[in-house]
Amino acid sequence: MSSPDGATRSWLVKAVLSVGLALFAGPAPAFDYHLKPVAVAERTWMVQGRREELSEDNGGDIANAAFIATGDGVIVIDTGSTLSYGRALRAAIATVTDQPVRWVINTHHHPDHVFGNQAFEGAEISALPATIAALKRDADSFRTTLYQRLGDAVRGTETALPTRALEAGESRFGDYPLRLFAFSGHSGADLVVLDPATGVLFTGDLVFHHRAPTTPHSPGIGIWREQLRQVRALRFDVLVPGHGPAAKDESPVVETLDYLDWLDRRLTNGAASGATRNEVIQAPLPERFADMALVRYELTRSVSHFYADYEEALLWADPDTTK
Amino acid sequence: MAGYLKPLLAVLILLGAPWSVAEEAREDPLGSFMWERYRERFLGDTPVRFDSRVGIQAPAFAEDSGQVPIDVDASDFNGRFQRMLLWVELNPIPLVFDYRPLSDGLGRLSINVRLEQSSAVRVAVLSDGVWHVGSTRIEGEGGGCTTPGIAKTEDNWSKDFGRIKARRFGHESGSRVRVKLSHPMDSGLIPSTRPFYVEQVAFVHGDEPVASMTWQASVSENPELALTLKGDAGTAYRFQARDNNGNEFDHVIP
Ligand SMILES: [Zn+2]
Repeated sequence: MSSPDGATRSWLVKAVLSVGLALFAGPAPAFDYHLKPVAVAERTWMVQGRREELSEDNGGDIANAAFIATGDGVIVIDTGSTLSYGRALRAAIATVTDQPVRWVINTHHHPDHVFGNQAFEGAEISALPATIAALKRDADSFRTTLYQRLGDAVRGTETALPTRALEAGESRFGDYPLRLFAFSGHSGADLVVLDPATGVLFTGDLVFHHRAPTTPHSPGIGIWREQLRQVRALRFDVLVPGHGPAAKDESPVVETLDYLDWLDRRLTNGAASGATRNEVIQAPLPERFADMALVRYELTRSVSHFYADYEEALLWADPDTTK
Repeated sequence: MAGYLKPLLAVLILLGAPWSVAEEAREDPLGSFMWERYRERFLGDTPVRFDSRVGIQAPAFAEDSGQVPIDVDASDFNGRFQRMLLWVELNPIPLVFDYRPLSDGLGRLSINVRLEQSSAVRVAVLSDGVWHVGSTRIEGEGGGCTTPGIAKTEDNWSKDFGRIKARRFGHESGSRVRVKLSHPMDSGLIPSTRPFYVEQVAFVHGDEPVASMTWQASVSENPELALTLKGDAGTAYRFQARDNNGNEFDHVIP
């Protein structure tokens, strides 16, 4: 590198000064998310989260957000884990369209999808009624968890509840029509959004892609599987899942179904044979899940969520049977 | 390295190796500041060594801190250990159980425990005058969706109070017996509650206890136990338990 001339030197001085100020005099800069909208269809972009769990390193950037520039304003679908993420998303949207964000849709109430809402002041925030109720119920404990796990990145984040209740069927955002489907398999209230004009299907966390599905509020693996079969029957050109990359076919639905089938079998066989929870968690994982992130981690959680139910049905139901 | 140093090094290794291995086995692999305290309290003056033959398996984190499954495998000590202790260092009631295998108990079991916060968990097996210790660590907080609202609170224990369910499965070294008992296992640590927990558990053959445990209230609500016993499917066992209020529970193992 050549030796710095006068101009560079003064830039260096400024840089050092501003870092110094940030460290010693002012508030730390907001978490830097480096969000990059990727076009998935006409007037439609997604911002893909990392296929990881919440951590200080990723600042909670683990779920997908997406947006549609309708011509009359932008519809944002899911807003991330933090106020800073929401602001970064807003700034990223402004790099590809001049239209203002007028609507926000939360696909479900999980913390990695709703806590950026606060950054979209002035926009109308909407969700299924059961999502709004669940967020009211869980918001405080979600925020506690976020503060424990994200550190600085979550600073300033408050709950911004949706104010408009959505229902299944055609719904208009301004003049822009979307088709909404109300499911429940992943979180108890899961909105799936189809844009008939572009053929993009936004599935929220009803569909995961190359990332193991999470099950904390699922009403049951069977219900989830049944609803995935309904999603699979829909006609769409592009699928934007809640986590992982978008696809131009149904492969993310097939993958999620395959994982849930496997999980159901694993829990069934474990409970029927009297296996302990640790044995179910630690048994080898199928080769075909090698590319799927967080399988052992989510299996550990799912055993905690579901195994007692499987044992109730398969182990304890006929307690006097000797095997 | 200069050639002439090699023989010297070999001698040092020969001299040093047995000593350093033994020394290592006495040093807490988790480096926990609580280790000494509970070693003193639970293991007393008896010699101690950390021993990989005492296996302890648990999830890396507690998704539901009220029901954390712990599996112990000390099968290498089958037939030649006298006691087994399990404790969670940072629980308000650290000790979970004190197990005496007596005539039929084996070294493999599984039990659900409560976890107050991230903690080291220890299992110690007394054999031939030495405590052999296995350790693991469990993080107290689970995934991003972990909330108290998610953990299933079975508040219907009073309806089912005292109900026992049991199953037996064939196992290479005898039977694996699984038992689930409906009991609140109240620690008395929550204000305005009294301690109310199962403290004595035994498997009985004829009139004789053939394996017994004392429990503390760190065992989860509606306790679940899996234990391997020497007897095969033809060996008659009963499960018996008593809580600190004098309630007695008795159930035939199928
Ligand atoms: Zn979710």
